[in-house]
Parts: sequence; C-alpha cells; structure tokens
Amino acid sequence: MNPIWTLLLIALPLIGALMVAFGREDRAYGAAMRTMLVTLIPAAVMLWYFDFTLGAVHQGAASVKWIPDLGIKLSIGTDAISLLLIVLTVLLGPIVIAASKTAIKEDRRKYYAWLLVLQAAMVGVFAARDLMLFYICFEFTLLPMFILIRCYGSTNRVAASTKFFLYTFTGSMMTLAGLIYVVYFVAQQTGTWTLDIATLTAIAPRMPVEHQAWVLLAMLAGFAVKVPLFPFHTWLPLAHTEAPTAGSVILAGVLLKLGTYGILRFAIPITPDAFIQYAPALGVLSVIGIIYAGLICWVQEDIKKLVAYSSVSHLGFCVLGLAALNVSGLSGSVLYMLSHGLSTGGLFLMIGFMYERYHTRDMRAVGGLASKMPVWTFFMIFFTMASVGLPGLNGFPSEVLCLISAFQSDASWSAAHEAGAWGTTLGPWFAVFAGTGMVIAAMYLLIMVGKICFGPLREPDDHHAHEELPTDLSRREIWTLIPLAVACLVFGLKPNLLLDAISDPINQTVAAATTSQQPPQPEHHIDQAEDHAMIEPTDTISNPMTEATP
Amino acid sequence: MINTTFLTSTLAMLQDGHAVDTHAPAVTHAATQIAEVGTGPKWILLIIGLPFLTSILCGIYAMIGNKTKLPAWTVVAGSGIAFLTTLAMYMSFDGTPYTVHAFDWIQVHFSSEGGDKSMIANFSFYIDTLTIYWMLFVTGLATLIALYASEYMSHDLGTSYCRFFGAFGLFVFSMACLVMGDNLLMLYLGWEGVGLCSYLLIGYFYKKPEAVAAAKKAFIVNRIGDLGLALGVYLTFVHFGSLEYAVLFNDPTLLGYIESAKTGDFSAIPRMAQWIPLLFMVGAFGKSAQFPLYVWLPDAMEGPTPVSALIHAATMVTAGVYLIARTYPMFLTSEYALPIVAWVGTITALLSATIAMAQFDIKRIMAYSTVSQLGYMFAGLGVLTPTGGVYHVLTHAFFKALLFLCCGAVMHGFAGQLDLRKLSGLRSVKGWGIVTLGMFIGCINLAGVPFTAGFFSKDTIIAEAFVTPGASMIGWILLFTAGLTAYYTFRVFFRVFTGPVEYHAGEEHHGDDGHDFHPHAPGWAVNSVLLTLTVCSIAASGLYFVGGNKDTHTKHYAQTMVMASTANYESPYSKHAIHAAHDSHDPNAGAGPRGTIDHELSMPIIGGDPHKVMYYVSAVFGVVGILLAALLQGPKGWQGLFIGGRTNAAECRMDPIARMCGPIPKMAENKWYVDEIYHMILVTPLRIISHIFHWIDKLLVDGLVNIFGFLPRLLAWILKPSQSGVLQGYAVSMAGGVTILLLVVFVIILQGGVA
Amino acid sequence: MDHLLHSTQLAQLAFPEAVPAVTMAHYLFVSAAMFVMGLVGFLTRKNMIVMFLCTELMFQGAGLALIAFGRHHLGADGQTFVIFVLCVAAAEAAMALALVVLLFRHKETLSAQAWKELNG
Repeated sequence: MNPIWTLLLIALPLIGALMVAFGREDRAYGAAMRTMLVTLIPAAVMLWYFDFTLGAVHQGAASVKWIPDLGIKLSIGTDAISLLLIVLTVLLGPIVIAASKTAIKEDRRKYYAWLLVLQAAMVGVFAARDLMLFYICFEFTLLPMFILIRCYGSTNRVAASTKFFLYTFTGSMMTLAGLIYVVYFVAQQTGTWTLDIATLTAIAPRMPVEHQAWVLLAMLAGFAVKVPLFPFHTWLPLAHTEAPTAGSVILAGVLLKLGTYGILRFAIPITPDAFIQYAPALGVLSVIGIIYAGLICWVQEDIKKLVAYSSVSHLGFCVLGLAALNVSGLSGSVLYMLSHGLSTGGLFLMIGFMYERYHTRDMRAVGGLASKMPVWTFFMIFFTMASVGLPGLNGFPSEVLCLISAFQSDASWSAAHEAGAWGTTLGPWFAVFAGTGMVIAAMYLLIMVGKICFGPLREPDDHHAHEELPTDLSRREIWTLIPLAVACLVFGLKPNLLLDAISDPINQTVAAATTSQQPPQPEHHIDQAEDHAMIEPTDTISNPMTEATP
Repeated sequence: MINTTFLTSTLAMLQDGHAVDTHAPAVTHAATQIAEVGTGPKWILLIIGLPFLTSILCGIYAMIGNKTKLPAWTVVAGSGIAFLTTLAMYMSFDGTPYTVHAFDWIQVHFSSEGGDKSMIANFSFYIDTLTIYWMLFVTGLATLIALYASEYMSHDLGTSYCRFFGAFGLFVFSMACLVMGDNLLMLYLGWEGVGLCSYLLIGYFYKKPEAVAAAKKAFIVNRIGDLGLALGVYLTFVHFGSLEYAVLFNDPTLLGYIESAKTGDFSAIPRMAQWIPLLFMVGAFGKSAQFPLYVWLPDAMEGPTPVSALIHAATMVTAGVYLIARTYPMFLTSEYALPIVAWVGTITALLSATIAMAQFDIKRIMAYSTVSQLGYMFAGLGVLTPTGGVYHVLTHAFFKALLFLCCGAVMHGFAGQLDLRKLSGLRSVKGWGIVTLGMFIGCINLAGVPFTAGFFSKDTIIAEAFVTPGASMIGWILLFTAGLTAYYTFRVFFRVFTGPVEYHAGEEHHGDDGHDFHPHAPGWAVNSVLLTLTVCSIAASGLYFVGGNKDTHTKHYAQTMVMASTANYESPYSKHAIHAAHDSHDPNAGAGPRGTIDHELSMPIIGGDPHKVMYYVSAVFGVVGILLAALLQGPKGWQGLFIGGRTNAAECRMDPIARMCGPIPKMAENKWYVDEIYHMILVTPLRIISHIFHWIDKLLVDGLVNIFGFLPRLLAWILKPSQSGVLQGYAVSMAGGVTILLLVVFVIILQGGVA
Repeated sequence: MDHLLHSTQLAQLAFPEAVPAVTMAHYLFVSAAMFVMGLVGFLTRKNMIVMFLCTELMFQGAGLALIAFGRHHLGADGQTFVIFVLCVAAAEAAMALALVVLLFRHKETLSAQAWKELNG
C-alpha cells in the first residue's frame, strides 16, 4: 500500500481548511463538504489495498527524518486497528459537515476550517508511528475542538471549553512526562535515541515493575481523562452539552477513542506487567463508571447531558475489555470503539436535529414528537436500540465480547486458564456488575425515548417553525443518518468484517503483553540490573546537545 | 362419565411401554441422540426471511404513504407461507436434527498457547422436533392473528397500520430466530428482538401515557431477565467453550455432569456450571412473566388486542418455557434450578389466579390468567415433566389466543369497553354468536373441563407434581389454583355473555350519551379467525390421543415431539409411581437426585396412582369452580338453573360475600400492591441513589476538579498587587533585583568563590 | 568590595597628575558613571522622552564597557556587539519615539504615570 494515501488523508483536509478559510463565506459549506467527500477516496483505496492477513503489520509506512539527533521522525503507517479508526473518522467527516449546514449560520469559514483541521489531526493520531508525531497530533486535536465549543457552543460554552481544554491538557502533560521517561529508558537500553513506537514498545517492557507502575500511572492520567474513566469524566457532560452537534458527534465518535486507543497502543504494550497488576483497579473503576454514570443518566432532564453520561457508562465497557487483557476483551473493546462512534454519534445527530427545531434540550419542555416527526422518531429508536445493545445491531457483539472477557480473565475457574491462555485480571463479578449496566442502559434510554418521542405532544411555548427546515427530517438530514444506520446494521449482522480484520494485531498485542519480559531473577538481581541500566550505558549514549554544537 | 377404558389403556401402555428398572438412575437423559447433526435444505430459511421481508415491505408502504390494507395482506401472506414452509419442514423431517446455515455472524478465534478456541455464533438454525413443534403454532397463530388484525386495526389505516404490521412481521422474524437459532446467541437475538417488538407494539398507542409507561416497563423488566440470560450464555461459553446446541449438548463435560447428577452427586459438578441454569431461569422468568418479574405482562394489555393475543399470550411469553425445555440437560445439572422453577411457577400460578379473580377488566383477567397458566408450565418443567409444560404451551396458545381475540372483538365492538360490570348478555346480541362460541370453548379449555385440551395438559403437570417426591405441595396448590381458574374464567363468561342484554359504550365512543350507541359485530375476518381457533382449541385435545410412538415409548404427540429433542427427559417417577405402588417394599426404588422417593408422599390421592386419579380430582375442582362462578356470578334464573345471583350487569351475589371478606378482595383487585411494593423497595431507592450520585458528581467529583482549577487563580490573585502599573516601580524592582544578584555574586567571590 | 574600590581609587589617583596612558579602569569608570546616571534618571523622571533618553544612556554605558573589554582582550567581539546594540537602539529609538508621540496624542501628557492602568 502506498503511503501517499495516508498522507493524502492528512493533507487533503488541511488544504481544504486553507481553501475554506480564505474562500468566500457562503461557499464555506460546499468547499468543506467537497473536501470531506474527496477524503473518502483515499480511505476507500486504503481499505481496498490493505492486506488484512497481515493486519498487525503497519502498512503504507513511510518515514522522513525530522530531528535526527533525537531520533524523531515523521513516520506514518497503519495497521488494521488504526486503519479502521481512520475509516471511522473519515466516514464521520461528511456527516458532521452535513449536520452543520443549517445549524451554523455565522462565521462559517472559521467553523469549517477548524473542523477540517481537526479531521487531519485525528487521522494523524491514528496514522502516527512516531511518538512525537502521535503526541503532537494528540494534543492538536484539542485546539480545534476548543474553538468549536468556545465559539459555536451554547450558553455555557466558555466554562465548558475551558474545562475541556485544561482538564485534558493537564492529563496529557503527565502522559508526556511518562512517555519521555520511556524514551529515556529505551535510549539507555539501546544506546540511541529513538521515538519509534514499535521500538519503544519492544524495549520498554524491560523496565522494572515499579517504574512501569509510575509510567502507567502517568499515561493513564492522560488517557483516562480522555476516555473518560470515572472519576475523571466531569468535563465530558459539560463539553458535550455545550458543543455544537458536529462537535458532540466527533467528540463521542473519535476523540474519546483516543483515550482507549492510547491505552491499547501505549499503556498495555509499554507497561504490560504493571498493567496486569493494576487491571483490577481499572476494572473496578470502569464498572463503577458503568453503573454510576448510568444511574446519573436516569435523573437527567437535559437530553444531551443524558447521552453524554451514557457515553461515560458505555466507555466503561470499553475499558473493562481492555482491563481483561485477553483476546476477547481487546477485540470487544476495539469493536466497542468503532460501534460506539456510530450509535452515539447517531444519537447526538438526532438530538442536534431536534435542537435545531426547538432550541431546547430539556425533556420537560419538549416531547411526544412521534406524532409530529415520525421519521425522526424512527431513527431515534433505531440508534437508541443500537446503543442499548440490541442483538443484530452494532453494540451487541462488542458488549458480549467485553463481558465474556471479564469472565474469561479469571484464574479461579476458567478451565482454559490452566493452559496459560488467559490473563488473570478480572473475574465473574466484574461481568455481573457491568452487566447491570445493560439493564440500566435500557432503563434510561427507554425513559428518554418515552419522554421525547412518545406521550402527548409537548412543545416549548415560544416555539416557531424553523424557516429553513421541514417539520420532520429533511432529505439532507436523512442522508446524514443513513450511512450511520446502515453501518450499525451491517456491523451488527456481520461483526466479523471487523473482528477478522483486527484479530491479528490483537492476538499479537495480547501475546506480547502476557509474556513478561521481566528478567526472571530474584529481587536483588533486579536491583542490580537497574543499577546497570542507570549507570553503565551512559557512556554509550549519545548526548544530542554535545553533538549538536561542534 | 369419564371414559375409564381409555384411561386404563393409556396406563397400560405406560406400564408395559417401559420396562422400568427401579434401580436405574433417576435421570435418563439421552443427549447422545443428537450426536449426528446434518445440514438441512436452504428453503427452510424462508421461515425466517419472509417475515423479515414483510416487515421491510411494511416500512416501504409507510414511506410511500399507503392507505390500504396492503400491509396486512402482506404480513398474512408472509406468515402464511412461513407456516406452510414450516409444515413442509415438518413433513420432510426424518427424525434427525439438522442445521441450516444462513450466514456467519459472530466468530472470534482465540489463538493461544492453550490451543485454538473459537466462539462461533452463526446465523444458522437448528431444526429438531422441539423447533418444529414451536414454529408450527408460532407461524400458524401469527397468520391467523394477522388476518384478525387486518380487520381489527382497520380504523388506523395509513402510517400506523404499516407500523403495526411492520412490527408484527419483525416479531414473527424474531420469534423464529429465537426458536430456530442453532446457538444461544441467536436465541438471545430473538429474545431481545421479540422484546423490542413487544415494546413497539405495547406502545402502539403512543399518545397514551399508560401505553408508553407499560411498554417501557415491559422492556425494562424484561431486561432484568435478559441480564440473567446473557450472563448465563456467557458463562456457558466460558465453561463449555461452545454456544451451538449441536456441540454443546454433546459436550463430554456436560454429559459428565449429567452422569454425576444421575447418581445424585452434585458436588462433582462445578458451582459455576450449576449457576448457568439459575441464570437462564432468571431470563425465563422475565420473558415468561413469572414471579417476581411478572408485573409487566398485565400492563402490556395497553397494546392492541391482537398483540396481546399473539405476543403476550400465545408465543413470546412461552419463550421462557422454550428456553428451559431447550436447555433442559443443563437444568438437570443444577441442584436447585428445577425446584426453584417449580416453586416459582406454582407461586405465580396461585398469586395471579387470585388477582384475576378480583379484576373487572376482562383483558386484564386474561392477562393474569396467562401469567397463571405460564406458572403451570414452569411448574411442569420444574417437576420433571418437560412434556407437560410443552404440551400446555400448545393448548394454551390456542385457547388463550382465542380468548384474547374474543375479548378483542368485544372491545372493538363496544368502543373499548372492557369492564365486565358494564357488559352483559352478549350471547343474545345479534352477530355475536361466533364470539360467544369461541369464548365458551376458550373458557372450558382454560377452566379445565374434562376432555378439553387444557384439561389434559394441565393434568399432566399436576399429576407429575404429585408423583415427584417432595413436590406434592406443588400439586395441591396447582390443583387448588385450577379451581380458582375455573371460577374466574367463568366469572367472565357468565357475566359478559349470559344474562340480560345490557351494555355501555367504552371511552372510545364519541356520542353525546350512551343511547345512540350500537355495537358493531365482528366482520368476516375476525369471525373466521375465531372459528378456526375454536376448532384448533378443540382439536388440540385430540393431540393427547394421537401421535404416540411405540419405538420411543411415547404416548402422545407432544411427548413424541419433546422426546426427540434436546428436552428429551422423562421423569423416572412418572412410571415409578405405578410400579412403586406394588414394589414399595423395595427400599431402593427410584432413589434419585432429589433424595429417596417417599412413596406415601408421591401418592397422596385416594390411595391410587395420581396419573389416574388426577383426571377425576381435577375435573371435580374444575366443575366446582364453574359452579361457584355460576352461583355467585351467573344470571338469575338462567336456563332453568336456579343458582344465578346476578340481576344486572354490575351487581352479583359475590358482592356481599366480598364485603364480608374485609380488605382481601380489595387487595386482590389492587394486585396485592406488588407494583407499589416494587416501587417502594426498588424504584424509589434507586432513584434516590441516582439523585445522590447526580449531586455527588456535581459537587464532589466535579468540585475537586474545580478546586484544582482554582489553585492557579488563587496564586495569581495573591501576586496581583505587585503589578502596579507604575513604570518606575518596575524599574526599581529590576534594579534592586540586579543589585541583589550582584551582591550575592560578590559575596560568593569574597568568600573564596565556587569550589 | 576591594575590587570595586580598587578601580575607583585608581581613577581618582589618575586624575591629579598627567595621565601616561588611559587604563582599563578609566573606561569602566566612565561606563559605570553613564549607566548609573541613566538609571537614576530613569527612576526619577516621569517624562517619557527623558526616560527614553536615560535608557539610551544606560545602553551606551554598557556599550562602552563592552568595547573596553574587547580592547582589553584584543578581540573584535566587543565592538561587534556594540555595533549590533547601536543598530537595535536606533530601531528602538524610532519605534519608541513614534510610540511616545502616539501616547501623547491620546492623553496630551508625556507623563508615564498617565498609563498606569496598563498594569497586568
């Protein structure tokens, strides 16, 4: 596969952003839309040429020297997992643009330009094979999102955007610190500076477990905030509520996945031993999050806040699967990343369309829309059911796998464990308690549907018909939803389209993580090895500062 | 009166049909029978595909704004062809189960050092006699009820009509997936699918808040059960490594457990394996509306009556019975599962029968009656007679659908009137003959009048309860409940269909007052469906006499079907009881997993064999119930019987008796306040917790974040005054700073400098 | 303190009689004097133009020291630096005076105190 396609995926939105920014205000939408549609082509080409039998190999790889003294390169390439996440991102692109057509009325150039920049940054995160590139893109997603919330959000947007930015930024600073330590450690081990992710993940597990624990903690500080994992989730409901529809969709669809992707790509491979050690804690947090956020959803009156909290609850399943650290768990988790983007993205779109017509998110003020907006109601129920995890729709296979993984990853009674097949991090109780999340999800989502779709019609008193929009969904809005709905259905009925694709990288990740690379010596030997690592290689390590100044 | 020759011959057949070894292990499961599972013809997929297609077509009709009865005919045709296909499948079935593969669904491969493992859940279908048995009445009833609904729903022509039939088609599809799926995840798919359709159809009148609330309640209460089922499915996979019936029920581990269960050694079975049936059981309780999860079913009557008939009486609610019957081998491996199933079924049967006695809404009475009859089925499964449970499913499906459709016809004709105090003597209203006939046949079936289908199927269960050791209490309760059933059934019949003609229009009537109201009699579609079902209900009793198979030692159709499926299990006691009567000196007789048989306990009635005696005893209970109903609720001077006590529609002889009983009838009418109790001990606390969480989230979790965010601001506030804005001030501090720095440098140099 | 006293004493001692050669200390003395005058002027005056002149004075003081040291070490570095500084100062003068003119137009005063509200 030619790396040019990946590059195009990053470059095209950037070029589009420039065109939008310096183009005419009334043409901003069209230009942005065309750009997003054009980016579908390289994505499709990548899917077509990607060799899924070698899913774990980074294909279409390319590398350019950037800061050679520090071993920093501009290095891209995609394996199966990142490819699928990229495709999800690219697929959501035109959808969010289309959803913004009537919602954004002023300052369109800035809006669409930043959306396009965001798109490029998100693709960059998934395509990066160099730690520096990854981190730059990871952080750079914050800025466009911040602007989208800050300038185009609703009433409480300033507080929301500030909290979003500062919270996630603070977290990822700690991640950076942890990653720098990893780079330093690897440099000591190998004698050369490198930020190549593959090299880092190959060498870093040699770290002593206590160091791993600190690095893991640092990395989780960023990734857990991003996911968001209980109790670091409070920025999300606020940001979701205040963000414009497109922002919410991207936030739920892609940005939250950066956290779980980070755990999958960095936390697990770099600190496998510490991860196994702390996985129960992670599992407990995710189970608490599932139940706690689910119950909070129950008492929300703001429909967008409800869906936002439901994201917190759902992402708990995702982290639970990761914490189980076995094939079913990781498969389920990746599947969850993809399917949650579709179903919750769909829900946010539905809410956005409703909000455009009624300018309220309060379920006490508006409801019983089934009689007035039957098509809207159909899609609302559809995405709700996808979110509830109805079999046959996309949420179900991932939920099954995540819960099975929790069962499987228990040493005490899993027969397969004796063969050393599974991790031993969680247990049946995790699955049972997480399973109650299923019931709670049905409860709050159906109560939401009951309030907003059914019952006698309620409309705000000062409601006027929207001049541009029909009573029910317009043709454009329906076409915005159809790709998501079709994807929900297809991945619900053929989850193996995804599962087969990701099985290779996931098997490798699990195999690498569950084989400890710790030296098998007793305790004092480890201490020696540590001293060894700290002192001896300093001779061989090349100091970039001395080399740079001759 | 009762054909004793028949009885003797049946019993004789039972006796010499089985040369029962009294020393044999109690459990005689023959799971190895399904060892070879072939591949079936693809045309069987029509049964799945057609209903789904009709559902999509209805959606298309809605989109193009169809305002005719086309959706109804589409669904009738689709279900009808599905029924014919099922029939063809039945005819061509040669006794060997087979699977039909549609497409791959979920397949996960775990390659690990411990050997490769796969989780395979395909979209494929497992056909054995149990499947066929179930699908025959599911598709058959779906066709009939769709036909009925074509007329019943005709006031809603248009989008709603399409919506109704779209969901109807989807329901048939989901039910087919549930019953035919060849793995537990497919079953779960169907399970959730029927739940969704039930949700959509209960909430059909979505402008009514009660309907919306009922739909929501149904889905959520079901979800609690579904959680149990889901966990059970996951546990099954984790423990046995497979979800496919063909593999699962031949799994050596499972067969080993059953061997252990045969010897009564449950300690040899891992506790986790024993948990599986307990979890399945929870799922079954939810879907089949058993105590404590039965509360959704009566509320579900907010849906249109055809829905109540099809989903909430005949098919969907029997899914729990299907689940247990399908996974019966796994239930045998648990020490507690089947006894709990039996007791829960019994308690549900009694509880809901008492509630049904005090209700006035005829549809609700039927709903509670459904719950009660489902209790019988569960009790049957629990007392080791899957045959009895499954047979009762079939007979109940016919007569309960019939009863519901009759109630629906009444409701339709009288503008939504369902209160039995406001309807009387419909028998004599012109055009209601077929409804009256249907209702009568349904009622005698439900009441267990001798020689009806309901009589035979119910007796099978009760008799088994008496012969199963330790379960005779269940038998007594079920027998007593049978009396109550007869009473409340005929309470409806006598009050609504007999006596002086008197009726009030229901709330859907929009006249100025009730005088200009004329009920409209059902049309040809409704009448033909009612007639067909009446015939079916009567014919179902015939199934008790035909279809026995000498080779497999089965004595009637349902048993033949059950015994050739995974539910193949025959309680040793069902034969032992007869033998034991003669061999009671043998101390080892029938020692089973549930302890030694107490022969005295297992034969409590008139010293005879319960199988034989039960026909008489339950007939007596049934007739007493009907007579009581006639005495207390029947019309005065009705047809020469002088026992009637009702002068008009509203009042009857029961009322003063009820007044004497103090608050009890009122409590029964208010459903023993179970809903209120649930609300008090579950919903309200949970809601309070949710609110507490909400505030914790707002104040504590988010508060901490805000405090951290506030710290830099605090620091800035402290340092802020130093920024005076006076230029010279800054310069002074600069100069001062430089001076201090220089001084420090000098001091260091003076003291000898840095080493 | 000795070092400081040493250079000033040297300078004072040098003046009464004919100076055979200007020493390093002389330059440094002049430079320090210029710098201190500039500093005092900057701290005490409120007129922005005067303050600006004072900063120029400090600049030149520092520049003188640089040249002196450059000469002392027989290198061209010091002079190079000073030429840079002069360039920057010229540019700065142009900018600063323009700014001062603008500020004067706003408030009709040259007092730096008038712009106190520009604090952080």
